Amino acid sequence: MQTHDEILAGVAGVQERRSSRRGVLRGAAAGGALTLAAGIGSAPRAAAQNGAGDAVSVLNYALTLEHLENVFYRDGLAAIGPAAFDTFGFDGTVFDYLAEIGANETAHVETLTSVITDLGGEPVAEGTYDFGDAFASVETFLATAQALENTGVDAYTGAAQFLIDEDELLTAALTIHGVEARHAAYLNILNDTSPFPDAFDEPLTPAEVVAIASDFINDAEVATPAAFEGGDASGAAAGTAGA
Amino acid sequence: MRPLHERFLDDVAAERQRLSRRRVLAGSAKLAGGGALAFAVTAAPGRPGLAGVRAQDAFEDDVAVLNYALTLEHLEYAFYRDGLEQFTDADFGQGPFNLSISDFLAAIRDHEQAHVEALTATITDLGGDPVSEAEYDFGYTDAASFLSTAQALETTGVSAYDGAGQFLADPGLLTVAGTIVAVEARHSSYLNLINGLLPFPAAFEEPLTPTEVLDIAGPFIVAEVAAEGSDDAATEEAEGTGAEATPQATMETEPTEEPPANVEAAPPTEETEETVEDLEVILVEVEDDEATPSG
Repeated sequence: MQTHDEILAGVAGVQERRSSRRGVLRGAAAGGALTLAAGIGSAPRAAAQNGAGDAVSVLNYALTLEHLENVFYRDGLAAIGPAAFDTFGFDGTVFDYLAEIGANETAHVETLTSVITDLGGEPVAEGTYDFGDAFASVETFLATAQALENTGVDAYTGAAQFLIDEDELLTAALTIHGVEARHAAYLNILNDTSPFPDAFDEPLTPAEVVAIASDFINDAEVATPAAFEGGDASGAAAGTAGA
Repeated sequence: MRPLHERFLDDVAAERQRLSRRRVLAGSAKLAGGGALAFAVTAAPGRPGLAGVRAQDAFEDDVAVLNYALTLEHLEYAFYRDGLEQFTDADFGQGPFNLSISDFLAAIRDHEQAHVEALTATITDLGGDPVSEAEYDFGYTDAASFLSTAQALETTGVSAYDGAGQFLADPGLLTVAGTIVAVEARHSSYLNLINGLLPFPAAFEEPLTPTEVLDIAGPFIVAEVAAEGSDDAATEEAEGTGAEATPQATMETEPTEEPPANVEAAPPTEETEETVEDLEVILVEVEDDEATPSG
């Protein structure tokens, strides 16, 4: 079983890769403008071929993460209980606010499930998860929650482009994305880090997200839709999509 | 006359109420940000319907979307830059974990500046004319009203990006917009928190159409400063109107020919309220959704 530290180390590894990548880019030109330029350069990938089937893949990818988050709060808050948060020393609202985050994740799960069904797709089901020792203490819970939420934001940021031809689904995904960012900011604060560490968030590719999320997921049901694998660094877009 | 920021907050509240009301009518309504609408009604019996839901405003092209975003980023940046000059750390006090609120506000200001610079450079790269900073009146009177205005501004910013994202045609630009809106949502979360509000008041953000956003943000814009072409900023450079002028207007954008002087501090060339109309030139307004019967 993975320990909490191992999981966080996995997250840190990805974050570090991102930082160094970003650092290299930053060295080449000035600040934010560059970030935008980099965004333009790294264009379409799988987006061009997106049809309804691909949209379902994207939504199932999101749903996979929402299931993970939903279970994390549901089980974790039940396991730890409100009393443990009384001594956390913030302002007495932490447990309730975390429960509110959990309720948001539940709403995301229900909504994505419903929309995927409407689109004729098969929504991924909740899996079984291993959160290591995240539920051992308030501190480990909050650190893991922070990692999950920040990863969630980056996942949506990276995947939004795959919905570019599906205006309504894209807008809907963005409305979830913003809420995940709100959660991430709050959890950063609880972990004594800046709620907004940079002027731009970083998109994560599905491959990077799956590398993180699969640490928590036991039954290997991580949605890695074929349409997505073209978005990975592997560059196997055409082959994968056509396979 | 009531302070502007109070009217602004009322506008935000009214807009949200209107959206909620419309949400009830979801089944048949034609709404901007329709997906979110469909999402929002999940709790109701039956499934959310995605059919027939369309946005009402549209943009001419990606540059127009980016200029819309830039308009709001200019407003936000000016708000923090000028506001933070007027208050001390003590005025704001301490937030969670006894951390200085003004430090975080300064970080937000720097983010907004980075967004302005990045959007300006990108629009220029795309061959467009980036909109310039305007002159604003935010109407706050003390640190508390500054903070509540900040909270509303950031929340509106998130809604604006969420509503406009669908109009971007370039996936790379969409990703970039995503990296910005996430940060705006982080700002909003923090500002909610220090204003005593739930940082995440709903499971879904409310996307707003450009028209709705202009209804909210337009009243802050007193006058447009720099005029049409991108070279005008240099020629119109002038001393500011006083307190708003900030010494650290060192913009590190891709250097155009213009000197990096106090461009933002140029006096209003014309004191008219045609600014909102000017802004709307950015938008290709198709129709007013309120006036359009749903299909």
